[in-house]
Amino acid sequence: MTGGLVLFALAAGLAIAFALAMIVETSPVRSVLSLVVTFFGITVLAILLAAPFIAAIIMIVYAGAILVLFLFVIMLLNLNEEAREKDARPVQRVLGLVAVLALGGLLLGLTLRAGAPPVAPSAAAAKIPSPDEIPLIGRLLFSDYLFAFEAVAVLLLAAAVGALILSKRRMD
Amino acid sequence: MSVPPAAFLAAGTILFAIGLAGALLKRNALSIFLSIELMMNAVNLLFLAYGRMRGDASSHVIVFFVIAIAAAEAAVGLAVFVALFRSRQTIEVDRVNLLKW
Repeated sequence: MTGGLVLFALAAGLAIAFALAMIVETSPVRSVLSLVVTFFGITVLAILLAAPFIAAIIMIVYAGAILVLFLFVIMLLNLNEEAREKDARPVQRVLGLVAVLALGGLLLGLTLRAGAPPVAPSAAAAKIPSPDEIPLIGRLLFSDYLFAFEAVAVLLLAAAVGALILSKRRMD
Repeated sequence: MSVPPAAFLAAGTILFAIGLAGALLKRNALSIFLSIELMMNAVNLLFLAYGRMRGDASSHVIVFFVIAIAAAEAAVGLAVFVALFRSRQTIEVDRVNLLKW
């Protein structure tokens, strides 16, 4: 049993356990904090996949910005426990659970069956070297994906303006 | 690295299924939104795993775009919830059942 395998098992177990905790938890604040731990596990998995820059981005943008935004909104709306007074739609919940189990099992089976790598993993290590990741991403962003990059810039501006207008107190 | 790539695929798929369960079973709109964020991150993990298997750095760029779009989506979605809470005093999806107002 090598160190990489132990680290993978630890990170994946942590991520999955806290993802389940997020689903089971009824308090929104505790859901968000569980998701932070899940993202931490996903970050470790990304580092194991030789993507340290993406791992840092996930940690900073997701755990650092998006989840803090969630916490702000939870506190702004003063949400505490989920209302559990009446289970109004039991049939839909059972159907949802069945759908989740069926779709999850199907996806798991399909990804594991189609999981054989088309290229040998040794070629991967040669083409995505860890120290050269950031220059490689930068070159791709400004050559092959230039249009998508500019479009995302416009999208972020539009989202910022839209969020401002939506959360204004009086629309008229 | 001795971890088989299929293990990463399995972890990503399980996380995606958990996120799907949350999105389908939760009532609170904020919890549904959190589950969708989890699903996006599970797909990011799958992109990274497939990119490593194929030796293709484009997967990193695509994950970059997914994160940027998730940030935009979170900003707009949370603003929608704030506006919804101001007009209805709830963000339980069961109680927001009219397309009027």
